[in-house]
Amino acid sequence: MSSKSSIRTGGSTNSHSQITPPATPNGSQEDLNQQMEPPHPVFHNFLRAFYPFHPTYAISDSTVTLPLNEGDVILVHSIHTNGWADGTLLVSGARGWLPTNYCEAYDPDSMRNLLKALLNFWDLLRSGLTTDSEVFGNQEFMRGIIAGVRYLLEKSNCLTRESAMVQSNDGLRRNRKALLSDLSSLVKTAKRLQEYTAGAGQMVADPDDVNNTIDEMILKAFKIVIRGVRFLDVLEDDIRSHHPVHRVMATVAEEVYNPPTPPADSTSFDGSQHGDPACDAISRRSSRSSASAVSGSQSFKRMSSAYSSNTSSARPVSMTRPASVHMKRQSVSHRLSLTASIPAAQRQNLVSERLNASHDTFLSFLGSFIGRLHLQSQSAAELLLSVRQSVTAGRELLVVVEAICAHDRQSAEALEASRNAMYDRINKLVVSARDIIKSSSIEDEDVVIPQQNGGLLMAATGCVKAAGECVAKTKFVIERIGDFEFEAQSEGLGIDVASIGATPVNRETPTEDSSLTKPSKEAEVEPASLPPPEPASRPPPPPLIIPSYEKPLPEVPLSSPSPNIGATNSHLLPKGTESTAQHETAESATTDSSNEASRRSLLPPLPKMTSPLLTSDDYSPSENSSAHDSEFQSSFRSGSIAISSSGTSSTYLSGMRDSESSMLSQASTRATTPDLSVYVPRTQPSLSDLSVSGSQLTLADEVDEGESKMLEKTFAHELLHNKEGQITGGTLPALVERLTTHDSTPDAMFVSTFYLTFRLFVTPVDLAKALVERFDYVAESPHIAGPVRLRVYNVFKGWLESHWRDISDHQALSVIEPFAMEKLGKVLPGAGKRLLELAQKVTSTDGPLVPRLVSSMGKTSTSIAQYIPADTPLPPSYMSKSQISVLRNWKMGGSNPTILDFDPLELARQLTIKEMNIFCSIMPEELLGSEWTKRSGSNATNVRAMSTLSTDLSNLVADTILQYEDAKKRAVIIKHWIKIAHKCIELNNYDSLMAIICSLNSSTIVRLKRTWDMVSQRRKDMLRGLQAIVEPDKNYAVLRRRLHDHVPPCLPFVGTYLTDLTFVDAGNPATKQLPGVGDSEGMHVINFDKHTRTAKIIGELQRFQIPYRLTEVHELQEWIQAQIVRVKSSSEHENVQQYYRKSLLLEPRETMHARTSPVEGSNPFSTTQNQKFDIFGWTHSREKAQSAPTSTI
Amino acid sequence: MSGRTRTSQRRDFNIVVLGAGGVGKSCLTAQFVQNVWIESYDPTIEDSYRKPIDVDGRQCMLEILDTAGTEQFTAMRELYMKTGQGFLLVFSITSQSSLNELAELREQIIRIKDDDNVPIVIVGNKSDLEEGRVISRSKAFSVSQSWGNAPYYETSARRRANVDEVFIDLCRQIIRKDNSIHSSREEEHFGRREDHHRHRHGHHVHISRKKGENGQRRKRNGCTIL
Repeated sequence: MSSKSSIRTGGSTNSHSQITPPATPNGSQEDLNQQMEPPHPVFHNFLRAFYPFHPTYAISDSTVTLPLNEGDVILVHSIHTNGWADGTLLVSGARGWLPTNYCEAYDPDSMRNLLKALLNFWDLLRSGLTTDSEVFGNQEFMRGIIAGVRYLLEKSNCLTRESAMVQSNDGLRRNRKALLSDLSSLVKTAKRLQEYTAGAGQMVADPDDVNNTIDEMILKAFKIVIRGVRFLDVLEDDIRSHHPVHRVMATVAEEVYNPPTPPADSTSFDGSQHGDPACDAISRRSSRSSASAVSGSQSFKRMSSAYSSNTSSARPVSMTRPASVHMKRQSVSHRLSLTASIPAAQRQNLVSERLNASHDTFLSFLGSFIGRLHLQSQSAAELLLSVRQSVTAGRELLVVVEAICAHDRQSAEALEASRNAMYDRINKLVVSARDIIKSSSIEDEDVVIPQQNGGLLMAATGCVKAAGECVAKTKFVIERIGDFEFEAQSEGLGIDVASIGATPVNRETPTEDSSLTKPSKEAEVEPASLPPPEPASRPPPPPLIIPSYEKPLPEVPLSSPSPNIGATNSHLLPKGTESTAQHETAESATTDSSNEASRRSLLPPLPKMTSPLLTSDDYSPSENSSAHDSEFQSSFRSGSIAISSSGTSSTYLSGMRDSESSMLSQASTRATTPDLSVYVPRTQPSLSDLSVSGSQLTLADEVDEGESKMLEKTFAHELLHNKEGQITGGTLPALVERLTTHDSTPDAMFVSTFYLTFRLFVTPVDLAKALVERFDYVAESPHIAGPVRLRVYNVFKGWLESHWRDISDHQALSVIEPFAMEKLGKVLPGAGKRLLELAQKVTSTDGPLVPRLVSSMGKTSTSIAQYIPADTPLPPSYMSKSQISVLRNWKMGGSNPTILDFDPLELARQLTIKEMNIFCSIMPEELLGSEWTKRSGSNATNVRAMSTLSTDLSNLVADTILQYEDAKKRAVIIKHWIKIAHKCIELNNYDSLMAIICSLNSSTIVRLKRTWDMVSQRRKDMLRGLQAIVEPDKNYAVLRRRLHDHVPPCLPFVGTYLTDLTFVDAGNPATKQLPGVGDSEGMHVINFDKHTRTAKIIGELQRFQIPYRLTEVHELQEWIQAQIVRVKSSSEHENVQQYYRKSLLLEPRETMHARTSPVEGSNPFSTTQNQKFDIFGWTHSREKAQSAPTSTI
Repeated sequence: MSGRTRTSQRRDFNIVVLGAGGVGKSCLTAQFVQNVWIESYDPTIEDSYRKPIDVDGRQCMLEILDTAGTEQFTAMRELYMKTGQGFLLVFSITSQSSLNELAELREQIIRIKDDDNVPIVIVGNKSDLEEGRVISRSKAFSVSQSWGNAPYYETSARRRANVDEVFIDLCRQIIRKDNSIHSSREEEHFGRREDHHRHRHGHHVHISRKKGENGQRRKRNGCTIL
């Protein structure tokens, strides 16, 4: 039975099933199975008692021990190494310590979804941290439970009352009915909660009420699970009675004199391990299998002993968790919960928390360190301090990772590489810091100049990256093995931080010759002396607070939990524990005695419970702290506001100020317009619908009616969420279902992403079919059919009205039109008619029928108002009368003015207006699927126009400079452009800035040495500063930093968005894999995360699609346009080469002279590199000059 | 002054990936840069294009500048090119025009760097689309030879074939070139032009021989992979 966990898939139908308590000892086949597939250490979230446990001794006041009845199911929060688990008994809701050796993992396949849902349910409702009251609004958590029950019934062929299974077995029928009635009851309670939430606007709900309701819901959810368990039990019994297996008898008989109780553990550990008593639930469970087999009937003995010997040679223990794993250090395994269900104070000790906290600290130190490196200079002492802080923090992070490695050997292997990488990086940082300090001390200056910082910067960013990877892997491991408690004394991992500080002093005298040879004095900082931590040579692990196994507490189970345990058994128990205790004392003798007293107190003090649930009877919700209450309360309130305004308040994503949501609400309200008078739609259908219909029913019918409600067909299990609750993947039906939920407004971000990107993952025809399918199958659940069908209609309507692209979508009409006429028309005649009209309209109309506020998302009227009050007076233009007349004269055929005739600010403004006009007309569709890169027939006209204008502007810059023979005049023009660029940056016009800088910095212009000599140093400095802004280095780090959280009006450089979009597409696969069930591979679903990323980038661009409030000077616009046209036509193609040739003509190559750019990049590396290459350059240029015909002129 | 930083273990290499749109450059880069552990790739962060690799025992930090998506901003090319120490010129074996476009890019690089021997690797991507091939391997190889004996690789970003190899080859070239510059710089102190010229000549021969070897080995590799 203990091996059941490894054969999840076959569990429910297996004739000797794991659920019947007391568990039947391991079937041999299963053991073989287990052998086939190397098990992984798994933290079991649910345990089931297979043996009663009723402690008779006095319970210490600090701990609560749970009495267990056979068959009780426990939700496990953590497992102590001593074998005690902190768990909540589902039957009573009581929380306390219980002996895991009386329990087995409970995870039958058909219950899996329900159990998973319960976990989410618990995490969500129990966490005092739930500030996102949207959770309560949309009832998402309810769907999981409902889907779980449905899954259970489906799996057991009992989905309908009429099924043969249900009909034939009375017990089954009764259990099924009870299960459903409990479910119905929970739904009602949830509805009440929703009402509190919704009502919070007008009337403040009593926090106590809310909490009472939540508590009630948890108990009800527990009850449902218990019902489910019983249902499954009955089912198993039924199956067994129909297919009797002789082994059943045997095992039962065996069970009589060999109850698999605690001894199993201790014996097995005694024998096979270094007497390490520490073990977690998994190993216990597994070892129990071998142990009980040993003492079991002969046939079993044979099988399992063969098995166990086999495994012990192949892999140490059948169990995955090898016997030799250093469990001493691990004290408690915790369930890693998605939300914070454990009080903060207690969480601190969880390794996952530690990991996060130390990672955060490390990053913040590194962050400020890196930030400081960008400064011009800093003193060695400052540098030293920040390096030391960073390294200390990094070391702490490593300690945590080490602890995890020590906790589980498999993880250690998995983490080895990234841990070492991080270790290397930190060392690297130390070494670089030392090098710099050394060098600065040699030169006897206390200042570290930025040039030297390159290596340090590299090392620091390396640290950031390595830490990120390492932490990601580590989290992965924690998720697998379970969270555990951990107390770290920070301890050196061989990185001697202090010595960095010492080095400069040491160094001054002895070594200045080389950076590589190191005097022995500083050996401790030398990288060689810091090998990546090998398990063997690794410094002793940080002392963790170890629960003392020899503590009186857990020994309880030894005092034979129930009288019918045979003598054989009882003698095993004490022996095992004794010996383990001895081992333990021997091993940790040094620390033990001294710390014993303190440790004792640290022992399993019952975790402070978030849940006031003690037992179902005496639990009183008012025990909740008021802080907790108010937290809930406030979150409810804010949530309800967001919901009632249905997204227009756009609280969702700062980057995605999304009018899609308001569109949505428009769409749904529009459904109420007269043409739909037949139907009275609810814009916010909710669970209250259920109660309305439900209350009309007679009591007798209620449960039956509830049945159909409860068991709605759903694809919810085919959705993937991330930890923030956003959807990251799903099958098309699941996504469509999400789009058309009956009880909540779909998430605005989700909806807009879906509309924007669906063509990337589904054909319009298939989408239409999926929507129709949704419309059809919801008929199985009449109680929600109304709202769902209305939403289906609304999705169609939104698509046709605002997101239709006839070119690609036209074929979908062949699905939509029949649907509108027949299916929809029958149910909602008005809607059917309207949809049909729309379908006819879209083909004849160009562009969206209901325009999305220009190009939508970024520009709700509110957001514009926020940044640019409409009554702001337009700034006066800098155009003098004479300038205007010059332009008029030009228009009449007079001489062409030059840029020098106009004020740089005014030119910058007009350029900005010109570019912004195009930028604002970019439609989101243009940014999808690399549309703008298509060679022919690209629909991304505005994106293309942006790049064309940008290139034209660059060419114009070059053209205006190169038009003069006189170097002095060229210099004047260059200066003018620098000023214009500077004004662009003042206007936050990064796009024009980029174009101008690119040109000024092009080889064509840069090489004009005589010209640049006449540009003042001040202007060159200004240019250098501007250039640094658009430096593509480090993925445009400077530019991105500036644009992050930038307030409009602003014209960002479009190129970075285009590159980001391209790489989101290239770097993320189209599909994701759902977590597999049992052995089977998970199914592949649409990687919605990829599309969300795409939509976010587009949203970020749209955020800036707000026009400037600047006065357009018509004459000047005309002139600029004419100049661009002139430049374009004068050099139809090959602009660059043409300009280069002209540049060569103006200032022929100087042989022998190494050119240096007047405005070198700010990056120290590129500077040095260019200089290096220039050494080659001179020979090369000489050769080239001779061969190039143009240079002879 | 920069000597001290250069001798420290890890070096930075600025690599620029160039090529026409739609040749799969971005896939190549994303494949190379991505860590298998990263569940989803976020190209908007600073480290998105950095990757450490080991080149013949040397620790190298590659910073890759990929112009994907901005091919039409032709005036910006020089900005990219300036920062590069080595260049991957990518075309698709299924598109003749994508190879043609490389010629212009190469000329521009050479002009900007003012150096015929800029480290360059020619990459024929989409080698998994053998049925759509329009540029034969020998054709591509002869083109690459005519371009200063630049190494030619065929890659499949989709199958992750030869992806690391192209970046490593480029790093090798940069390292080799760097070393020769160091030594030539020393010689410069004495007799400038002659010495330098001589050295450069030797250097060139060295490279082309080495490249020949690479080419042969690569061909063999190619056959097994493709």
